[in-house]
Amino acid sequence: MFKWSYLALAAIVLLVIVGCGKAPETEMGEADSAIMQAQNNQAEQYAPQSYQTAMDTLTAARAAAKEQDSKFALFRSYGKSKELFISSKRLADLAAQDALTAKEQMKQEVAAMHDETQGIIDLAAKAISTAPKGKGTKADIAMFKSDLESARTAFEQAKSDFENGDYISAKAKFTAVKAQAQGVIDQIQSAKQKRAGQ
Amino acid sequence: MGRIISGLRGWPGNIPYLARLIGSALFAISLALLIACQQPPTMQAYIARAALDKAAADQAAIYAEAQYRTAQGLFREGQMETARQKGRFALLRDFAAAESLFALTARTADLAGTQARSLRDELKAKAENEVADLAGALTVWREALDGSLTLYSAEKSWAAAKIDLETARLLLEGSEFVQAIEAAQNGRNSLDELSTVLEQYQNSEAQSIATWRRWVNETLAGAKNSGSTAIIIDKSAHRLHLVEGSRLVRSFPCDLGYNSATQKYFAGDGATPEGQYRVTGIKKNGSKFYKAFMLNYPNENDRKRFKRNKSKGIISQNARIGALIEIHGEGNQNRDWTDGCVALENGDMDALFRHVEVGTPVTIVRRSDRWPK
Repeated sequence: MFKWSYLALAAIVLLVIVGCGKAPETEMGEADSAIMQAQNNQAEQYAPQSYQTAMDTLTAARAAAKEQDSKFALFRSYGKSKELFISSKRLADLAAQDALTAKEQMKQEVAAMHDETQGIIDLAAKAISTAPKGKGTKADIAMFKSDLESARTAFEQAKSDFENGDYISAKAKFTAVKAQAQGVIDQIQSAKQKRAGQ
Repeated sequence: MGRIISGLRGWPGNIPYLARLIGSALFAISLALLIACQQPPTMQAYIARAALDKAAADQAAIYAEAQYRTAQGLFREGQMETARQKGRFALLRDFAAAESLFALTARTADLAGTQARSLRDELKAKAENEVADLAGALTVWREALDGSLTLYSAEKSWAAAKIDLETARLLLEGSEFVQAIEAAQNGRNSLDELSTVLEQYQNSEAQSIATWRRWVNETLAGAKNSGSTAIIIDKSAHRLHLVEGSRLVRSFPCDLGYNSATQKYFAGDGATPEGQYRVTGIKKNGSKFYKAFMLNYPNENDRKRFKRNKSKGIISQNARIGALIEIHGEGNQNRDWTDGCVALENGDMDALFRHVEVGTPVTIVRRSDRWPK
């Protein structure tokens, strides 16, 4: 006769051994996916602190899970690591969002630089038109015009970088163009002051 | 359960019963262990994930993108394979393929990280070299341009290269090595343009050298034959040579028009004309520039050239030919600043005044190899 008690005992033992101490795979997978998304959003570059916090939490979660893995199945408890994986997912999602926000902020920053640089170029052109005229000034004015023309060409290149989403190159180039145009303004201002002082 | 307990109470008398109980338990344990052995490759996934993160930290996504993306793809495949196996009946699961995928992920990610580190260091060194080279080249070109007649098309290229150098420096400071190298290369391209402009300029000069030599020789022959005074101005050397008879009497440094590298095309272009002229008037007093010798610009050749350039559309129909080209004082500023005149230091003008009179030939050439520079 079939002994249902033996089968019940077998089932209990089976459930106890297999059911106890399962690693939080769902939470691990979600945390991994969230970190990958953060990396794809260049969180390391644009939100380094948020990203590092998420990575540190994930590292702690893995360490906690690894510690439990090394124990006998009956003695495993993944509660702490599960919590940490959940936290790291949340932090990674935050880092991914922070990166997008930072990139958008950079875009706005460079857009503002574009306007500022255009403004300085216009001021330089105006300064040239009101530069002191007289003996020997045409050589200087011709050189200012040449420098400003180079600045305008570089400005268009920077604008093209910005429109193509290369905010880092655009920012550097706008900075260099601003310096060139400001140099023209400063030289003319200096000439005006010298003329006024004579 | 009651039977189990009463059976245990009856031990050792119930050995066959206990044997069956222990056997069942052992069977269940073996079964459980068999199922437990088919655990998902969690450790391998950890290791693969850690390798990917390390590669990301090494900026493999930028410097070894293809390899890094491959590693990411393998990791995703490992995850999908794991999920597939977990969806099967426990006894039929086989995570071997998933384990292999995770192991390959780790190896590929490690390789990507190594490549990225190596390339990054290479790119950093290359960017530093490119920036230093461009800075050096700009300095050399600046010296060359400062020692030459002013050519604005060349100056524009130099200024463009200077902006590129500044851009490259900023990008290098921000550790954006690829963009820094690009910016430095743009600067190099600008200097290549400058070089082309100068080459074209020198080629155009080569076509006129014979003419300039002829003018100089004619002037010297005339001075020798008549035993009189003549002036030859070498623009590229910034020298005014005073000749009497067949003898070079003195040589004076001079400043020129701010657009000194070209022939004069029209009024206001800032160029000192090139041609054979004569002194037509002398201002001992009343000149804005100390003293002055007036020249007969435009001469016949100048008028012909002006008319020809207008008809070809090289200059505007509204352009005027200009006049009032002089040799005057207030010079020796060590730069080309006049509107087209030739400027000498006042003391040198005084010296010239002792030799020059109305009718003295004045020949102005772009370049002469007649006398040492």
